[in-house]
Amino acid sequence: MSTSHAKQAEAYLQNDAVATRHDATFYGVRQKRDKMAQALPEWEQLRDAASQIKKHTVTHLADYLEQFAARAEANGVHVHWAKDADEYNAIVLDILSSHGVKKVVKSKSMLTEECHLNQHLEAQGIDVVETDLGERILQLMHLAPSHIVMPALHVHREEIGDCFRRLGLMDEVKDVPVPEDPNDPTCLTYVARMHLRRQFAEAGAGMTGANFGVAETGDVVVCTNEGNADMSTSIPCLHIVSMGIEKLVPDLSSLAVFQRLLARCGTGQETTVYTSHFRGPRPGGEMHIVLVDNGRSTILADSEHWQTLKCMRCGACMNTCPVYRRSAGYSYSYFIPGPIGINLGMLRDAAAHSGNVSACSLCMSCDQVCPVQVDLSQQIYRWRQRLEAIGQANAMKKLMSQGMTILFNHPALYTATLRLSPAANWLPSALMNSALNPWARGHQMMKFPKKSFHALWNELSKKS
Amino acid sequence: MERTQQEIMNSKDKILAALRQNVRETYDMPELDALEGISYPDPVAQFIQKTTTTAGARLIEMHAGDDVNSLIRQAYPEARLLASNVPGVEAQMNPDTVSDARELMQVDVGILQGHIGVAENACIWIPQTMRQKAVCFAPQQLVILLRREDIVSNMHQAYERIRLSSEYFRDYPFGTFISGPSKTADIESALVYGAQAARAVTVILSD
Repeated sequence: MSTSHAKQAEAYLQNDAVATRHDATFYGVRQKRDKMAQALPEWEQLRDAASQIKKHTVTHLADYLEQFAARAEANGVHVHWAKDADEYNAIVLDILSSHGVKKVVKSKSMLTEECHLNQHLEAQGIDVVETDLGERILQLMHLAPSHIVMPALHVHREEIGDCFRRLGLMDEVKDVPVPEDPNDPTCLTYVARMHLRRQFAEAGAGMTGANFGVAETGDVVVCTNEGNADMSTSIPCLHIVSMGIEKLVPDLSSLAVFQRLLARCGTGQETTVYTSHFRGPRPGGEMHIVLVDNGRSTILADSEHWQTLKCMRCGACMNTCPVYRRSAGYSYSYFIPGPIGINLGMLRDAAAHSGNVSACSLCMSCDQVCPVQVDLSQQIYRWRQRLEAIGQANAMKKLMSQGMTILFNHPALYTATLRLSPAANWLPSALMNSALNPWARGHQMMKFPKKSFHALWNELSKKS
Repeated sequence: MERTQQEIMNSKDKILAALRQNVRETYDMPELDALEGISYPDPVAQFIQKTTTTAGARLIEMHAGDDVNSLIRQAYPEARLLASNVPGVEAQMNPDTVSDARELMQVDVGILQGHIGVAENACIWIPQTMRQKAVCFAPQQLVILLRREDIVSNMHQAYERIRLSSEYFRDYPFGTFISGPSKTADIESALVYGAQAARAVTVILSD
């Protein structure tokens, strides 16, 4: 009866210490987010505004894209359009090849993960260097991100230290005294800093994602804490921006709303350290923006799920999700985990990712924290209703539902069954609590009461 | 894989056509004037507090008669190579005249002119006013000069100033908000300053 998520989660939960730590880490981020929200009297107004601005923008997206592209081109930027991942990968490869680029430094972009850009470029002999510290750690360890904002928090310092030592990164840093803990995060970060600064100096191009595009001005806005997007675009002269078409906001006044929400919701900070506006190429440099659809225009037509296009990838829904916190990113089959990832995975390929829709207790916490008010849990509920239609309904549950339909539609049968249920109490415990009974997993089977609620109610009514 | 101009145009047209066709219900832009951002009775005090706590920067208040160059030296007495093009600031390297942005990676302290300070989050708006913007990110430490009168309460006010100004983005097409030193918590959530960009920041607040 288990879904793919449930099976993966079960394996993950075998290590109680790891799971408990993961849970505490992300609940800590959730609590920091709460403090941010409580510190602003206008918090709910901001969420309302953010949701309304996004609803307006994505339902007028063609107009705003034209305005944005025209502004960017007037600012001297090359604008490209890619309808799918293949086209996107080909455009980026074209730009890099025509400039003879052998190494590219890259700041974090979920879009490039979505399109598998790195693999595509590497197959053509281009060295792709992730520059966000977490992403670089994962890249060196050949792991996938487990979270969209804090991608490597599931990896422990010992594993990172071992990886750095194995690859010789430690030897490249001569001036750092060896600390008591050889895996001290400050020391490891310094080693990575020196390693990455060499990469910036050697790279022929810098690639960034876009947190926001401003239609009115043509600005691409990139927010980071590390400054890696800025290093990637201040040293190499060629800058390529990869941007999903839903990233637009109309103007700078709208941007203020999102800038204030993004870091508060994502990591519980008032702001990211850097909020950089790119409005054109550097002197003597080149700037390219690749606008990518890859299924987004199709989502717009889906009356039940189009509001996923409002998402700004802050990660708040993951941090608050009790299922994500206790099952971690790799339990989900889609590369974006948590409530938004469940929905985006279903929109990408429902047959491939229906194993994630069970990863929700319908507690609705994600709906409450989402800065743009995406109805995440309700969307997950709706996917569950559609499992039968897409041929992904669970056979056992289907059978049980059919049985219950008969039971609930026949009061006499229902009452008779209820009267007989205490008989189950006489079954040997070994049978009731066996592995065959999924309801007995993790806890003892309940005792059926001698009298049902109905029976008690009737007795009381007669007495009074 | 060479792509013709025709193919590229086709994708643009296809995307725009699909978006226009797939819109079901349209929504109006909300009135943002009604949204009042938090405002502080003393924005300067709030800015100082945020800068020196959550942003993790140092702050020096400059008084009448103080010399900016000696304050910079006081902040980073061990610095050997300074870079700046701010008028009146003594520096050995000028981001307007370096031949290669990589040279700025050797710099100990970069000195920048901040134009807007934001009290709610310690952000400082730094429009690009130098040829190589690497001076904002590559040096080991930064000193950011800011005038008290340029401090606003919140980001709505900051973006309003940027929107109305003809000065920003005029000479160079870039500007950034910086709030303290480069930070990361990517290894086991341990907060570390100096991931890739500046490891420390000192704000000098003047009248």
